[in-house]
Amino acid sequence: MRFSVLKILSRQVYRSTIKKRSTLWLIGIFNLMLGFAVVSGYQILTTQQQIVDKYSQQVRHRWEKSPDKHPHRMAHYGYVAFRQKFPLSFFDFGMNSYVGNAVFLEAHRQNTVNFSEASLSNGLLRFGEISAGLILQLLLPLVIFFWGFDLISAERENGTLRILLTQGISWPELIMGKCLGLFSVSLTIFVPVVVISLILLFSNGAIGDNWQSLGYFAILIVGYLVYLLIVSLLAVFVSAKSNTSKSALTKLIGFWLFFTLILPKISLVIGQNLYPSPSKVEFDTAVEHELLAQGDSHNPNDPHFKVLKDSLLQAYGVDSTHKLPFNYGGYVMREGERLSAETYKRHQAKLVAIYQKQQNVVRLTALCNPFMAIKNLSMALSGTDYATYHDFENQAEAYRYKLAQTMNELQIKLISNTTKGSSGKQAIINRKHWAEFPDFSHHFPAFILVFQQEKLAIFSLIIWISGLYFLVTLSSKHFKAF
Amino acid sequence: MTGLLIKNFVRSKGLMTGLLLLFLSGLISLNVGKHFLEKNQQLIQQTAHFQQENIDRNVKYVNKEIGLLLYYVRFGLANHTPNLAGLSIGQRDINPAVLSVTIRNLEEQKYTTDLMNPMYQLIGNLDFSFVLIYFFPLIIIAFCFNLISEEKEEGTWSLVLSQAISPLKMLRLKLCIRYVSVLTVLLLLLVIAKFYLAIPVDNAFVAFGLTAILYISFWFSVSWLIVSFHRDSSYNALLLLIVWVMLTIVIPASVTTVIVYKYPVPEAFGTVLESRDGYHSKWDQPKEPTIQKFQKHYPQFNRYKHPEGKDYSWLWYYAMQQMGDDEAAVHATDLKTKLRKREAASSVIGLFVPTIHTQQICNHLSQSDMANHLNFIEEVEKFHEQKRLYFYPKIFTDFAIADENWKAFPLAYFQDKVSVNWSLVLIPVFSICVICVVWAGVNFRRPLERNARYE
Repeated sequence: MRFSVLKILSRQVYRSTIKKRSTLWLIGIFNLMLGFAVVSGYQILTTQQQIVDKYSQQVRHRWEKSPDKHPHRMAHYGYVAFRQKFPLSFFDFGMNSYVGNAVFLEAHRQNTVNFSEASLSNGLLRFGEISAGLILQLLLPLVIFFWGFDLISAERENGTLRILLTQGISWPELIMGKCLGLFSVSLTIFVPVVVISLILLFSNGAIGDNWQSLGYFAILIVGYLVYLLIVSLLAVFVSAKSNTSKSALTKLIGFWLFFTLILPKISLVIGQNLYPSPSKVEFDTAVEHELLAQGDSHNPNDPHFKVLKDSLLQAYGVDSTHKLPFNYGGYVMREGERLSAETYKRHQAKLVAIYQKQQNVVRLTALCNPFMAIKNLSMALSGTDYATYHDFENQAEAYRYKLAQTMNELQIKLISNTTKGSSGKQAIINRKHWAEFPDFSHHFPAFILVFQQEKLAIFSLIIWISGLYFLVTLSSKHFKAF
Repeated sequence: MTGLLIKNFVRSKGLMTGLLLLFLSGLISLNVGKHFLEKNQQLIQQTAHFQQENIDRNVKYVNKEIGLLLYYVRFGLANHTPNLAGLSIGQRDINPAVLSVTIRNLEEQKYTTDLMNPMYQLIGNLDFSFVLIYFFPLIIIAFCFNLISEEKEEGTWSLVLSQAISPLKMLRLKLCIRYVSVLTVLLLLLVIAKFYLAIPVDNAFVAFGLTAILYISFWFSVSWLIVSFHRDSSYNALLLLIVWVMLTIVIPASVTTVIVYKYPVPEAFGTVLESRDGYHSKWDQPKEPTIQKFQKHYPQFNRYKHPEGKDYSWLWYYAMQQMGDDEAAVHATDLKTKLRKREAASSVIGLFVPTIHTQQICNHLSQSDMANHLNFIEEVEKFHEQKRLYFYPKIFTDFAIADENWKAFPLAYFQDKVSVNWSLVLIPVFSICVICVVWAGVNFRRPLERNARYE
């Protein structure tokens, strides 16, 4: 393939496309839409950040200002954890609107993460949300198809194709040249939004993770460039393969509908039927049944905790728990918290495994669907995918566990073993202990996790681009010049 | 002439494949709806079963104080799902179908969500309303974009002009055949749905059917309008596709984003903090003020007193719980108002955008919109209050657990009422159809012959 030929061909495509009024209109509209999408996305993000910051501070403030009290009451007072949005989430909203935002963390109980945007919205959300991700993944390919469907078929219809080929241009050069031209036209839509996003990313000082998101953004840009290249190549390739421009356009629109609308929905139906997931009632009941079998840690005389008691009495050589050198109630509660948290964790892991399996059905279609590949990759890098959310759930649960156990430790250490009730003078401890317990802070997963999660998507994009490239170079004999 | 046109239509492989695809995707969507309804039914049966089990077990083991027993016992209220919701699942897969609550403070319980795979919610259900809103227009566009231009491009237009029947009449006939064929598929699917999903034929179903018919009529009118400009096939196809993309993706998605931006809901977080503090902080405060506030809320319980010198009483405990709700009440009301505003804003916009309007009417008729959920939440509040008022006196007098009939608390149901506002359902889309058809009529009044010269 000669570089000079590619350059001439691509420049010709670029110039003739950009010359048309309709092209300029489309480019203008798309840039406006993208500008609107990222700016409004960014404003929604910063509003949400402010709301989350405000309420997180309130939670912390109220926690630290709590009066002297029994530590177990403090464990029940609990904490509220809010989900932070990744700085890049304004670029691709992904699942952000469908996952919860706030969770009440207390002893003994794992509450659901509530207040997802979807639960606060009406049915309109089902049409999607206008984000840069949606426009670039879904709408831009459609425009590229419109610009590219007749790039070769029209030359064939006009008879100019033969002239081109007799001038010594090879088929691969022709296709790659046209593809690069088409690709460069698409950059007039892609580059401005990247620039605006970068500016917005830099202006967001609320979170110190900017370097992390900047790195993610770099990879995201590469991902989108590859995606646009795949789409351009597909358009030109189909145009070369089709007998008429009309059939090329029909095929390309068919591809688009199938890949973006039909295949994801179908894979969802399949996943749901293959791996049914439990309802909340089933899940809670299963956890409850297991917990009941373990006994009640609030009741120091519970038969299931009797074994524990006997072994303690033996070890310390005393005949009553009141004579133990530490608060026995707290000790039992710590044990109970450990058991219940482990049980919950086990069930939760099972549930997440089912979700992962369901999602893998959708993810697997990325191999034959570049749209799904870029969608998953983009969500993951924008911090709006399931893995990022699940990571938050884990962090919140870990914090909850630590909170409950720290309070139990305080009870074991500081509350006398003979104290009854939880409100007497002896049953309360100094509030300085509250401030000693660190605030909840939400961290975002490291790149290696994102990479592991989405390696299939990355692999799929590589397969598509190299597959199409080889198809173009190898099958040039089968193309028709007229 | 009519016979020939029908023959022509039926013999066209492309058109028949289109109808078949439409029918098949419709059948798949009905299956999705059936699956949804069955799962929902199963969930409600499970909840009913587990509720009784939960009550029986707690009554057996927590058998000393009724105050402690009611700390544990859960009472469920199910939001009745009409079978029509199988056609338009809407928000039903986001909002829980059943809420099980204890008589403790409600704020900590009423926002509980069900367990769901967010990836699925993101992709969205392939329900009938989706097929109607997205797929039907595509087929209609494919049927109509070259209504005139195919004749011109295939060179038969001058033949048409030389016929005794007027060309406009022929075009109308062509359009009618296409309209009737798509309408047949739609009605066929609705009839199948009626039996397959056991949907009762009531006002809601009739309105649902009319909404669907109006929606496809809208797309035929738009196509008719575009065709009336006498442009070539690719131009028509491009224009119609742009309209489709705008109406099904760009405009609704932008509206969503604008609504989220314009009506943020910090109140949601506020309720959590207020109810948490309202209840928990009372543990560290003197008991008297809490009980006074409680008795101010419920004067009927004035005669119950906290036992002097006692560290704890159930009166005090439930008074504290009540404070959780009372102190979050302002935020909770604000939250509901904000959500109603969101709902109202989108229905106003819907009047001008047929896709949004159709989706909202479908969701409204099948009780799967946000209004239904808010009604349900209000019913949960009433249900919870009623349970409280029933049990409070028993708790304060330490009623014997064995004397209560614990079989009398099965799962309760909330049946929302759908009022069909016929003019709201029909007028907006109908007017848009009329505008398109009249405009097309103006275009067609120009002599058709003149346009033949270009070919």
